[in-house]
Amino acid sequence: MSFGGGAFAGGPVFGGLGGQGGQNLPFAGVPTELQERVDEILATEPDVADEAVDFSQAEYDRRPFTLGRFLAPHWVALLGALGLVVLETITLQAGPLLTKIAIDSGIRARSTQVLFAVAASYVVLIGLSMLISRARIVVTARVGADLMVRLRVRIFAHLQRLSLGFFTEEKSGVLFSRQTSDPVSLAALFQEGLVQLAVQALTLMIVTGLLVALNAWLATIVLLAVVPAMLLMTLWFRSASGPRYLDVRDRIADVLSHLQESLAGVRIVTAFNRRRHNVIEHRNVVGAYREANDATAQVNAVYGPGSEMIGILGQALLFLIGGRMVLRGELTVGDLAAFALYLTAFFAPIQQLVQLYTVYQQGTAAVVKLRELLAEGPTVGERTAAHPLPSIEGEIALENVTFSYQPGTPVLRDVDLRVRPGETFALVGATGSGTSTIAKLVARFYDPDSGVVRIDGQDLREVTFESLRTQLGIVPQEPFLFAGSLRDNVAFARPAATDDEVLAACDAVGIRELVDRLPYGIHTPVHERGVTLSAGERQLLALARAFVAEPRVLVLDEATSNLDLRTEALIEHALDVVLEGRTALIIAHRLATARRADRIATVHDGQIVEIGTHEDLVAQGGRYAEMFATWARHY
Amino acid sequence: MRSGLERTLRDLESLADDPSHPLEPVGVESRYDPPRSSIHPDRALSWLRRLWPVVAGHRGIFAVALLASLASLLCGVAVPRVMMAAIDDALTTRTAPLEGFVIAIALLGLIRGGAGFVSRFWLFRVAYAIENDLRVTLYDHLSRMSFSFYDRVQSGQLISRANSDIRTVQMFLTFGPLICLTILSFLAAIGLMLSISVPLTIVAILPLPFVGVLGARLGRLTFPISWIVQSRMADIATTVEENLSGVRVVKAFSAERAQIHAISKAARRLQWINVRQAEVQAAHAPVIESMPRVGMALVLLVGGWLTIEGRLTIGAIVAFTTYVVMLQAPFRMFGFFLMMVQRAAASALRIYEVLDEEPEVRDRGDAHDLTDPRGAVHFQNVTFGYGDAAPVLSGFDLDVPAGETVAVVGRTGCGKSTVARLLARFYDVDGGAVRIDGEDVRDLTLASVRAHVGIVPDEPFLFTTSIRNNIAYAQPDASDEDVIAAARAAGASDFIDRLPEAYDTVVGERGYDLSGGQRQRISIARSLLANPRVLILDDATSAVDVHVEQSIHDALEALLEGRTTIVIAHRLSTIALADRVVLLDSGRVAADGTHGELMRSEPRYAEVLAHLEDDTGARDAPAPEVAP
Ligand SMILES: Nc1ncnc2c1ncn2[C@@H]1O[C@H](COP(=O)(O)OP(=O)(O)OP(=O)(O)O)[C@@H](O)[C@H]1O
Ligand SMILES: Nc1ncnc2c1ncn2[C@@H]1O[C@H](COP(=O)(O)OP(=O)(O)OP(=O)(O)O)[C@@H](O)[C@H]1O
Ligand SMILES: [Mg+2]
Repeated sequence: MSFGGGAFAGGPVFGGLGGQGGQNLPFAGVPTELQERVDEILATEPDVADEAVDFSQAEYDRRPFTLGRFLAPHWVALLGALGLVVLETITLQAGPLLTKIAIDSGIRARSTQVLFAVAASYVVLIGLSMLISRARIVVTARVGADLMVRLRVRIFAHLQRLSLGFFTEEKSGVLFSRQTSDPVSLAALFQEGLVQLAVQALTLMIVTGLLVALNAWLATIVLLAVVPAMLLMTLWFRSASGPRYLDVRDRIADVLSHLQESLAGVRIVTAFNRRRHNVIEHRNVVGAYREANDATAQVNAVYGPGSEMIGILGQALLFLIGGRMVLRGELTVGDLAAFALYLTAFFAPIQQLVQLYTVYQQGTAAVVKLRELLAEGPTVGERTAAHPLPSIEGEIALENVTFSYQPGTPVLRDVDLRVRPGETFALVGATGSGTSTIAKLVARFYDPDSGVVRIDGQDLREVTFESLRTQLGIVPQEPFLFAGSLRDNVAFARPAATDDEVLAACDAVGIRELVDRLPYGIHTPVHERGVTLSAGERQLLALARAFVAEPRVLVLDEATSNLDLRTEALIEHALDVVLEGRTALIIAHRLATARRADRIATVHDGQIVEIGTHEDLVAQGGRYAEMFATWARHY
Repeated sequence: MRSGLERTLRDLESLADDPSHPLEPVGVESRYDPPRSSIHPDRALSWLRRLWPVVAGHRGIFAVALLASLASLLCGVAVPRVMMAAIDDALTTRTAPLEGFVIAIALLGLIRGGAGFVSRFWLFRVAYAIENDLRVTLYDHLSRMSFSFYDRVQSGQLISRANSDIRTVQMFLTFGPLICLTILSFLAAIGLMLSISVPLTIVAILPLPFVGVLGARLGRLTFPISWIVQSRMADIATTVEENLSGVRVVKAFSAERAQIHAISKAARRLQWINVRQAEVQAAHAPVIESMPRVGMALVLLVGGWLTIEGRLTIGAIVAFTTYVVMLQAPFRMFGFFLMMVQRAAASALRIYEVLDEEPEVRDRGDAHDLTDPRGAVHFQNVTFGYGDAAPVLSGFDLDVPAGETVAVVGRTGCGKSTVARLLARFYDVDGGAVRIDGEDVRDLTLASVRAHVGIVPDEPFLFTTSIRNNIAYAQPDASDEDVIAAARAAGASDFIDRLPEAYDTVVGERGYDLSGGQRQRISIARSLLANPRVLILDDATSAVDVHVEQSIHDALEALLEGRTTIVIAHRLSTIALADRVVLLDSGRVAADGTHGELMRSEPRYAEVLAHLEDDTGARDAPAPEVAP
């Protein structure tokens, strides 16, 4: 059995469902009776070729996202599909015409030959339309599926470019639906919407032409009575339904983000007895969504049956006027019959168009939202002229750096800091003083408002992200693990790492014992966010991940805060080996960790107030000395 | 099955019971009624049958809607018949005045419109109501599930079931009945056709059996395919979800390319199955849809011949052709309908799969509330392991008298947090018992245990809402004074006051726009506000500096007075809060005593706190060999 699934490989079809592939897990997929048929289908699936990923931080399509641009690359196939649609519609609309011929030239002229000829051509046309529609379905589905792949990859890739600040502010539920439900709405717009729109519009035109050809005067009168009524109603429908559908979209977004956050925090919900409260809260958001839906039901219920009614009233009018004409001998019964049939055919597409309207609304709304998302540029972006950072010596410098997350409230002020190559440098300071922020600037998650951050003398804004970050090993304050195997997590930065290298990293951080205890060793699945591991184990894995990355510079932000002291000591020994000759920036509240550093800087209120060795700082009797005294008293 | 039934009955009861429970306070006004019923608990029933109780909750308006639809459809079916009479009697034989027929047609049109409005309006509303019920029921159910469930199941999976699957079922419920009625009206049409001419009717419906056969085949082929489609969509959702939540790691290790690779692969797997689905569709649907038109050709041929023979009127031909055109719609829909049924069935099963999961930790039938506990905690020979894995705790014994503060120390991953989780009964023990005031927690109601046992977890999770709401999480209607007092005790009030909107500041996703120490302090405040009798601090100050930690401790000393407290800690400063320390090792209490005693008597204890003893240069100097 393979456990390779999860976020990295896309997962085996159903093994990937639980992300874990164990057969005793629920949600492992298919009910048994289905399994065989599913397997049969999957057996025919060709291997998905490994396509090289074409991704650039700096260069991407910056033009606004429009339906036209989205469809443009497939214009040949689209034209083909359109051609098929035209043919299909024509073959479909021949029916009433043949009926008229059959009635007038066949029945009334008492000619069985004509009848046979009509029936035969009818059957031929049906055969043709079947073939055409078959081709049309396949072509549009192919194009549609292709468009979807490109769209999904494009949105996803674009999100990879956006900066950390964006993700901190935007609710991930919203970004989630931008990537899941919006493409689906767009696919529906394309596959059902646009094709049907073409079919129905064409039908409408053909039928109108045929009506006029049959009897221009009658056609004019009937259409003049019917079309304005339809038009008025359609206009009303448009203006009434537009805002209602927008409302539906907003409400469903609320529902999803409530659901998503409840699941993310489900352990807190349980621990704090919030179940009842949240259920009611959810009922409220779902209820609001339902009301928004109900509001659309209102307009739909008026429009659909209303247009049907107009259609039948149109028939009544036709019989009133056309019937009189027949009675006066100005029209044949066959003509009237054909007219009646065409009139039915005239309303059918209108009915269809109404149904499409929902699809159209949702599709265009999706286009708008996606355009907004894709127009969002990274606040911390890669310059087009950015060059790769050569192999790092490890000198880190912050020059006169001022930084604020929110304008007006600077978190760092005039910070000057120079970490020498190969040095182990610690940052200490009161919580909230800005130590993690310095680490984030060094990794260029954010850019300073003023001043420069340099590594080896190079302004970080001038180098490519990839060259910078592949040489940094960052262990953030909150150790995040993906659903996937332990191996995938540890080898995250270097998926090609061998199992031995992964095991060596586990050894180094002292988690080998745990790995050996687990049923599948390093191939044991990790649940999302690593919730099934202890807090310390998560930190150890995050450390192992940084070790495997073989960074030139290591940034540890409270990376050992949840470890017992012995394990932490082990890690420090391991670090000494790994760090041989490399620069390390260590942030720690545990002064025992900090004091081992070559030099220490104390951050206070966004400024660096002192720098020196442990002994120097203690001797200076400043802030550090005071913190150390408190620490020594209590630890 | 019986227990499933009981569960659902209980669910139904509590779905209906709104008012705030004293232990589970509710701070929002309930603006909508709870659903009337959940799905049928019997798993052996068909998916539609299981859904029935939900539908039945709305059967009144559902019936009205269906009746109105029927009326509207029948009017529609009657129109061609009247048209035939008009052509034959008023125009061909001229035995009746034209106006009568015209008025009849117009009337039918009006009724069709009116009844159609009623039918659509209520059908849609019923479908939305059912969607509403399903969403609320599923959420309610998920909110009852135990930790062990969430240890196994990915939230992306749950979200896709709670969203796209429910929507698929809703689609079916909106259009399904309508299509069924259309098919019913088709029977009425056949009746009318038969009344006009039996042989011609037979000719016209000759192609029907093919439609049936092909339709069934299509359905059988699409079912597994739609299942795969759904699951691949869920795969994509999972990948997207993980990417969003792991964005910091993705960026830190420059893994964007690998991630895009993953999504592109998942998207292409979905693409393949989508195209497969379309191919199957393409092979069947056009034939199914064309069959009625073959009937039309036959009608023209045979009907024409019959008319020439004088056995049929021209009006009848018009009526028949109109009917065959009308039949096209149900036929077209029939194919669509079959696909929709299959999809809905697949989706419904996926929803049921969740609803059929039972919470592993739940109230016993005769559970009673824990009221006014003194807070004596007793772990009695507890054995516990997660799932099938090897036990984390075995033979774990710990007695904490009411009001005492005990520190639990031990190596990373030795099971300290597990002890906390068992006390709050997030999991049930495999062997032994956890007691509060001598009562086995399994005999108590969950809500009461959790109301009296508070945990500050080792990972401070915050919700995307105001700081105030985060702190008042356990008591949504807590007063501002209480919130501020809790924040002050947790050492959080200073930094909160400095935020631009103070307590009304809305924190970002998971609180990531606060520093680690700030999050931890809000998390502590949240637990303090709940004012539990038994408090567990699980490494709760790991990310704060020494000064803040000291001030929190000073505040806590007073607050912990009289409370039973378990502190899980790696730092001596935290251990100092405790009256007594226990060392957890190999799943049991390895040593128990004051810090000083353990330091002297227990080498393993000293080892866990190794830093303290050897931090004067153990790194450089190997421990001196003891000379013999
Ligand atoms: N994304 C953000 N948006 C807005 N403010 C932020 C953001 N991240 C951090 N801050 C604020 O900036 C200040 C410094 O945060 P930082 O994370 O650097 O603190 P720290 O020194 O690392 O603290 P700790 O030791 O508690 O982790 C804090 O007041 C915090 O609230
Ligand atoms: N939900 C879970 N499912 C499966 N295994 C788990 C789960 N939670 C914890 N474990 C495992 O049980 C063991 C004990 O975990 P626990 O969280 O109790 O450790 P801990 O002593 O609190 O460690 P730390 O000091 O790192 O927080 C660990 O090996 C962990 O991997
Ligand atoms: Mg823990």
